[in-house]
Amino acid sequence: MDGRAETIRADKVTKRFGGLTAVDQVSYVLHENEVAGIIGSNGAGKTTFFNLLTGYYLPDEGTISYCGEDVTRMTPQQRVARGMMRTFQLTSTFDNLSVVDNLGLAYFRAHKKSGLMQLLFNTRKSQRNEPKIVQTMDTFDLQDVRDREVKNLSLGEKRRLEIAMAILVDPKVLLLDEPLAGLAESEIQSILGVLRKHVGHQTILIVEHKLSHVQDFLQRLTVMHEGRIIADGTAEEALRHPEVRRSYWQIDVTAESAGVATP
Amino acid sequence: MNALRWWWGLVLAFALLVVMRVFLPLPFANEVVIFSIYTIGCNFLLGRVGFISFGQPAYLAVGAYAAGFYFTYFGANPYIGIVIGIVVGFIVALIVGPFFVRLRSDYFALVNLALAVIIYFLMQKVLAPITNGDNGLWYLTNLEPTPVLDLTHPSQFFIFALLVGFATWAFYKYLDDSIYGACCLGAKINEDKLTFLGYDNFRIRLTAFVIANTTTALAGALYAVYLGFVSPEITSPTRAVDPVVVTILGGVGTLYGPIVGAIAYTGMKDVLSQILVNWELMIGFLLVFIMLAGEKGIWGTLEPRLKKLFFRKAASETAGGSKARTA
Repeated sequence: MDGRAETIRADKVTKRFGGLTAVDQVSYVLHENEVAGIIGSNGAGKTTFFNLLTGYYLPDEGTISYCGEDVTRMTPQQRVARGMMRTFQLTSTFDNLSVVDNLGLAYFRAHKKSGLMQLLFNTRKSQRNEPKIVQTMDTFDLQDVRDREVKNLSLGEKRRLEIAMAILVDPKVLLLDEPLAGLAESEIQSILGVLRKHVGHQTILIVEHKLSHVQDFLQRLTVMHEGRIIADGTAEEALRHPEVRRSYWQIDVTAESAGVATP
Repeated sequence: MNALRWWWGLVLAFALLVVMRVFLPLPFANEVVIFSIYTIGCNFLLGRVGFISFGQPAYLAVGAYAAGFYFTYFGANPYIGIVIGIVVGFIVALIVGPFFVRLRSDYFALVNLALAVIIYFLMQKVLAPITNGDNGLWYLTNLEPTPVLDLTHPSQFFIFALLVGFATWAFYKYLDDSIYGACCLGAKINEDKLTFLGYDNFRIRLTAFVIANTTTALAGALYAVYLGFVSPEITSPTRAVDPVVVTILGGVGTLYGPIVGAIAYTGMKDVLSQILVNWELMIGFLLVFIMLAGEKGIWGTLEPRLKKLFFRKAASETAGGSKARTA
């Protein structure tokens, strides 16, 4: 696309589940500091592709490299150690811990020596006033609930917490799996507001079902359909693509195109 | 002040055990303290890491037989016997742990039971020439009196067991407050997230397994010294669920649940067995009742109420001073 360094490169990656080919020979390159999005209808293979990139699944065919290094067979921990951080589609936090302890766990692994001995010899309390954690709680508006157990939070607060945990790690690549699903408009805006601050100095890949919210925020948009990439480019380019137009009535594109789409 | 807050619960709990010692017979007090230590490992596995084990007697037997062999064949110092029990327990947990903690929770429960059965038959049949089979090893009179705290003397043994118990609780309380404790709680409900934050799930669970079962072996070694004999009965499959029962009775995942559970269980055993022939039946009914009544166990139900009561009392004392004190 341009002269920027490659962060993630997927080369003809295939993943099958029984007879179903969920991801079919997908090649994809994510550049440094790019803010990219993958959209597609349910079952388009976007979350599976995402899971392949992060090491949740191993591909049946193809290779994945990260900053020039082959990571196809690496465990998730090894990928995290190299700077990949992901969130989950179904919000994934530690429900039996307080907000600040959730953040503490994320922070400790990324910024302190975290061998077994360090885990045993550091108290949770020692993390709670770490300036970086306090600052992140301010940014994500989590100060008021800092000592509350996560199971008592609202979905929006949980989602903010999960993204806060990911950003606290200072990853090279931030991979967000449907970060806006199921949220109210105001919550969506507050999350996008925080993400905007990271545009330009962090590589971000967002998988979304709904395009309308992230469209103006993405520099690049990829559309997946039935396990393949059918369009790739700026948001306008991708949406103008004939194949996308043919299948886009399945995708909630923008309010404007949704009107056209009703068959 | 902070240090005081950290300690007061522990000090209070063990002060109550001392009080119990004054009012109740010594064997009961000793049994409660050892049983509490036995149960805290199970409680940690179940409450903190989410592992249910039906084979805790296996590790109890490892500690007890390690000490028992030492007393029968090699030496007579009770302290050395206890240390040997702990070390052997640690080694056994470290050997079987890597295989066991890979298993999902339900299989984990059964594989431990299988280990308990293996050890039971090893001690009862296969190794009978050195274990005396069902009769067990008897060495009560061999044990050497020790200076300062004479462990061959039940009342001094109680003091020692109490000190060991206190240290054990302080250790587990510390674990709860450590980052490792947070990792365990995280691993209990969301292994994926922990992995994707970059933690090594396997190592966290293995460590928990080794810590818990070394503690259990410690309880076994204490039994070996206190009872003066070891027999295969200690790892009998019929006793396999005892620690799980006591854990649930006391309150899963609570720090003081094992103590409360051990008092309740040992007490019921003593009282009911005098009145009823089939007292274990009552324990079964009681357990069903507790599960249905809220699965929090005795301490899990009491703790929030006591806290409320305590804090309300503290508040009213500051408000209406002497009245509360005279009442």
